Amino acid sequence: MASNITNATSYNNLTPAQPLDKATLNKMVWRSLNLQGSFNYERMQAAGWLYGILPGLEKIHADNEEDLKISMAHNLEFFNTHPFLVTFVMGIVLSLEQQKADINTIRAVRVAAMGPLGGIGDAIFWFTLVPIAAGICSNMAINGSFAGPILFLIIFNAVQFAVRFWLMGWSYKLGTQAIELLTANAKEFTRAASMLGVFIVGALTSNYGGTTVALEIANGDAPINIQSILDGVLPKLIPLGLTLMLYFLMKKKGWTPIKCIVLLLVIGIVGAFIGLF
Amino acid sequence: MSFNAIQIILVAIVAFIVAIDQFNLLESLYQPIVTGAVVGAILGDLHTGLVVGGTYQLMTIGNMPVGGAQPPNAVIGGIMATVFAVASGLDTTAAVGLAVPFALVGQYMVTLLFTAMSPMMSWADKCAEKGDTKGIVTLNYCAMAILGAAFAIVCVAGLIGGEALGTSFANAAATPVVAKIMAGLSAAGGMMRFVGFAVLLRIMLSNDLWGIYFAGFALATVIGYIPELGGSALILIAFVGIAVALYDFQTRCAIKANAGSAAGGDEDGI
Repeated sequence: MASNITNATSYNNLTPAQPLDKATLNKMVWRSLNLQGSFNYERMQAAGWLYGILPGLEKIHADNEEDLKISMAHNLEFFNTHPFLVTFVMGIVLSLEQQKADINTIRAVRVAAMGPLGGIGDAIFWFTLVPIAAGICSNMAINGSFAGPILFLIIFNAVQFAVRFWLMGWSYKLGTQAIELLTANAKEFTRAASMLGVFIVGALTSNYGGTTVALEIANGDAPINIQSILDGVLPKLIPLGLTLMLYFLMKKKGWTPIKCIVLLLVIGIVGAFIGLF
Repeated sequence: MSFNAIQIILVAIVAFIVAIDQFNLLESLYQPIVTGAVVGAILGDLHTGLVVGGTYQLMTIGNMPVGGAQPPNAVIGGIMATVFAVASGLDTTAAVGLAVPFALVGQYMVTLLFTAMSPMMSWADKCAEKGDTKGIVTLNYCAMAILGAAFAIVCVAGLIGGEALGTSFANAAATPVVAKIMAGLSAAGGMMRFVGFAVLLRIMLSNDLWGIYFAGFALATVIGYIPELGGSALILIAFVGIAVALYDFQTRCAIKANAGSAAGGDEDGI
């Protein structure tokens, strides 16, 4: 039962659905505001992402309940991107869903698109827009002007909403145009997209993996720092090792993600008490 | 310090909304410049609220929740700093100092919630199996409401308990057991993303793609050691990844085209 849904590689109904209308796209832009509603350490924005694109998925898979389940299941996998730029990923994934592209293709495109946006979004919003807008408006507020906070909200949200709406429309169109080129070489494209996706997951393992150990072995005046020894062997060894360990536990031993999370909680808390972290 | 019931309720509502707003909604209402003014107005001293909010805002610029790191929570920090400044007539720096224990509690609650929401993902999986779209919506709104309620409770406690409560928070957080458990939870929280990566790999990784996985890891690690590239790392990595994937795509398309026309003897077709 469940395995049919989570292991499916293509939709049952392969006839492309009607293109999504403007109203549905706009509805999803509004929903994209709550991308991080159920943020968690395991899959980060996954459930918020699915919540965001559900109006589109319901329309696209309206004629086949099984396909809606398949689509919901694979859109609940690990997801993390910049909250203000997420509509770019939404547009492109929805165009693939609408064309009933191969599930592996949709997954790979989703992973490949979400990764790089984080850096771009931080640069635009947190390092540029907020410091400038808040810098000016804070001084107004400190001088007792109520216009300070109001102006800040107007500037910030004007940019935010312009970006969200524009990206959604643009990337949906982009995806729809690209699909015709890609269906001719669908198998090759899926492989290439999977390569990019795996490459990005490899990069995320290092880039998002901040786990280090604080263990030191007493050695007179110069204690031996275990982390710097590990870094000498291979930097980010712990994130890599943990990811591979969890991969093998799930793939070979059939562990569920929940079991893996419990294991990590035990490692974390026991580790903290014995001075590992 | 004493506030009337209406003020306490209004501050609780503000705390509820901006706690959710720090990750959702407009993601700007929670900034101290806004909460300072709003809380100041509720407590009857808009001017102090504006000054504290503006000053705290300048302090937090450059201390944004970037890349998943959590600074001591600016949402509770902004609200409580304003409360202390209005109630005790303190200057901003002193008021922010008194607010720090509450901001720390806020940060702990965010860590706890993000950990606790991880097992909730299996509820989401069940919704997907059943095609239950309403369940996904409910799950998201529930998580948002829990976050909002938790922050509202801390702020109300701060309004009623005042500085004394802040001191006891700080003392409780400093006890070894609490400190160890929180350190353990945040270490575990930092590791949980590896479960997400492992799930993606289990699905996407065919045996001939292991090299690509390690190549991505290696490139990101190298770039990670260059501090100047902190913001652009993933874009640069994507450029390389796209080049590799595109090369593979073009090569395979060319092979397919040649294989298809082999009978026609079109062997120099590239």
